[in-house]
Amino acid sequence: MPVFESTEVAERVFGTLFEILLQNAQFTSQLRASDLSIRLTQTHPDCVLHVSADALTVGDDAPEEATVRIKMSSDTAHQLWLGKLMMPTAVATGKVRISGKVARVLELVPILRPAFDHYPELAAEEGLPV
Amino acid sequence: MPNHDEFDLNLDVLPGEVEKLRLQVREFARDVVAPRVTDLDGAPADDFDWDMVSQGHALGLTRVAVPKEYGGLGLGMLGCSVALEEVASVCAGTALIFGAAMLGQTPVLLSGDPRLQARFLPLFSGDAPVLACNAVTEEEAGCDLIIPANAVHAREVMTARRDDDHYILNGTKRFITNAQVAAFASVFAAMEGAPGATGLTSFMVPLDLPGVVRGPVADKMGYRLCLGSELEFHDVRIPAENMIGNEGDGMAINMAQSNMARASVAGISVGVARGALEQALQWCGTRVQGGLPLREHQFTAAKLAEMSAKVDAARLLYLKAAHKVDNELPAPQYEPAAAKLFADRVAIDVADMAMSLTGARGYVKSFGMEKRLRDAYGARIYEGTPEVLALAVTESLYAAGEPI
Repeated sequence: MPVFESTEVAERVFGTLFEILLQNAQFTSQLRASDLSIRLTQTHPDCVLHVSADALTVGDDAPEEATVRIKMSSDTAHQLWLGKLMMPTAVATGKVRISGKVARVLELVPILRPAFDHYPELAAEEGLPV
Repeated sequence: MPNHDEFDLNLDVLPGEVEKLRLQVREFARDVVAPRVTDLDGAPADDFDWDMVSQGHALGLTRVAVPKEYGGLGLGMLGCSVALEEVASVCAGTALIFGAAMLGQTPVLLSGDPRLQARFLPLFSGDAPVLACNAVTEEEAGCDLIIPANAVHAREVMTARRDDDHYILNGTKRFITNAQVAAFASVFAAMEGAPGATGLTSFMVPLDLPGVVRGPVADKMGYRLCLGSELEFHDVRIPAENMIGNEGDGMAINMAQSNMARASVAGISVGVARGALEQALQWCGTRVQGGLPLREHQFTAAKLAEMSAKVDAARLLYLKAAHKVDNELPAPQYEPAAAKLFADRVAIDVADMAMSLTGARGYVKSFGMEKRLRDAYGARIYEGTPEVLALAVTESLYAAGEPI
């Protein structure tokens, strides 16, 4: 049984998560300074997001081009942002697949850390298991 | 309009920083390593040349894959593989000193944990060289610690036990390159209570902790300039934050680490083969028999041509593998395994043919060819034997297209 009942719910939760991050000046300045953009492609249910320092795009309009492209299931994303699944485990076991210069990915990981702080509350508000 | 840059497949041109490093390392290998190789190869097994390592460290060979923000060169596995080929063209053992250091760093790189990275990675950027090692193999467990299906059958594996906010490690690792000279090790131990090695867990362990004992150095056939030794852990107490991932993630991390590192080992094997080829070319171009240089005798020419083609093919495979490793997480299984499987065989074949072409001189130690042949057999063992690599390759062939 997937954690997210529909694409709409997944897009709402993860879209809100990254909207919050984009309000964080440090997050956007780090993205801009590193010239980083991220395309998240989640499955079961499908959920696509594109994040850059200037904009968040959710759904079919999300641009294909990104410096870092991350693919995982929405359940994996839920476990990851809750802090229940460690990134090295997720990557090592292939639950998370990342393409792009690995050096850029390593720059991205610390930038994303605020997501771990915000996600549990967002998930709880949506009635998702935390 | 198509972007023509995307179609510019120029396999002769490395990225600028990698090419610059390659040229610097080539000089280092020629001017620093080569003059010492014969003496160090014949020295007692525990002899170690810190001065040579220091000069390699000054070039960045101890931190090629470490990100720039932590003081490294940030050149990834491509930079690492290319640099190690250059060193190995003169001495594979010296190349492995730096390669094993990189391998010990890999779990920290994979961790994505800024705190672990900030603690361990800057250590490689100081004035004095710092080395690391990767401690997996044990007396009763080799492949059982790198093939997931074998894990349940592993026997007498080193153990880890949680004790509040620490873990207690007990056991002995064997044949660990750099163990004698490293400042810390990535160590794989099985959680107590889990069958075999199913609870394998990865830890970063400073080797100056109480209870760590560096055992005797193995007297090896080849790779004599790097030291392989035992590493004993007697109730070694390490902070829980030194664990990579979670308890039981060790097998997956070990595999991910191997997939990252195998391209660089293929680079070492290519270096061994290239060194043998270059020495054979020099000999066959000047040695005259029957009124002609050897290279103009058709049987000799056939061997030289085959050797050269094999070296080039092996290099292309490792460059492709390294490029993929630098652009995908997790690192792919197939390309690094295929590159290493092929390059390890090429090193043996080319060194053997070079030995044959150089006749009696090749059989004399001072000529250096017999060392290349001894070294050629080394890479066939570490970071995956041909048998282990074959399983990795075929598993990848059957797993193509697996959905996420």
